[in-house]
Amino acid sequence: MKRIGAVLISHGSLANELLEATRTVYGDIAHITAVSLGWHDDVSDAEARIERAIREVSDGAGVLLLTDMFGGTPTNIAAMFLKDGETEVLTGMNLPMVVKVASQNREVDLGTFAEEVEQQGKKSIYRAGDLLVPKAGK
Amino acid sequence: MASAQIIVTNRLGLHARAAAKLVRIAARYESVIKLHGKNNSVFADAKSILSVLTLAASCGSELTVECHGPDEIEALEQIVYLFESKFGEE
Repeated sequence: MKRIGAVLISHGSLANELLEATRTVYGDIAHITAVSLGWHDDVSDAEARIERAIREVSDGAGVLLLTDMFGGTPTNIAAMFLKDGETEVLTGMNLPMVVKVASQNREVDLGTFAEEVEQQGKKSIYRAGDLLVPKAGK
Repeated sequence: MASAQIIVTNRLGLHARAAAKLVRIAARYESVIKLHGKNNSVFADAKSILSVLTLAASCGSELTVECHGPDEIEALEQIVYLFESKFGEE
């Protein structure tokens, strides 16, 4: 099965730590890598590292670029690589999104999968009290 | 359909790594495998880690496992064993 690859991109070591957490939970994630950018890195260096990372995880099924925050430099650099059917950029990455990418179990086109990962990220935010403490009348 | 009631007995409950073990075992079987809490309010697909985590099953939680399919008996046995063995954690 061809898996869609992913590159996690952030300032500081957030991207590396999300990758490590996912590896600890899930095991085999050879199709995901991380690029942690230094706060003062040169943009062309950052671009080159992201380009290498995309090549590293690409299996021909497309690559998702997951970034820390819309509007930040990692997102702005990632957006340079946007290419219909080949790369998609998702911002505001969280651990459930990375786990979703790790646990792909079927072949799916990149656009559909990008939307699934986006929805997973959004719906994985809970006020834990609403789930864990049953309210009266429920 | 094969089903069984189980109680989560490992101290950390059905946390992320335990859920990953469950999913790995569930994925070996063709059967559809579902878990739900005592009040039936949440159903989880045992083959999806993110779905299993929504059960928020802590130590002491009661769950029902339901397996539907050609290998449902064996699947159920293995899943019950995993919970009984506390996911190999203790």
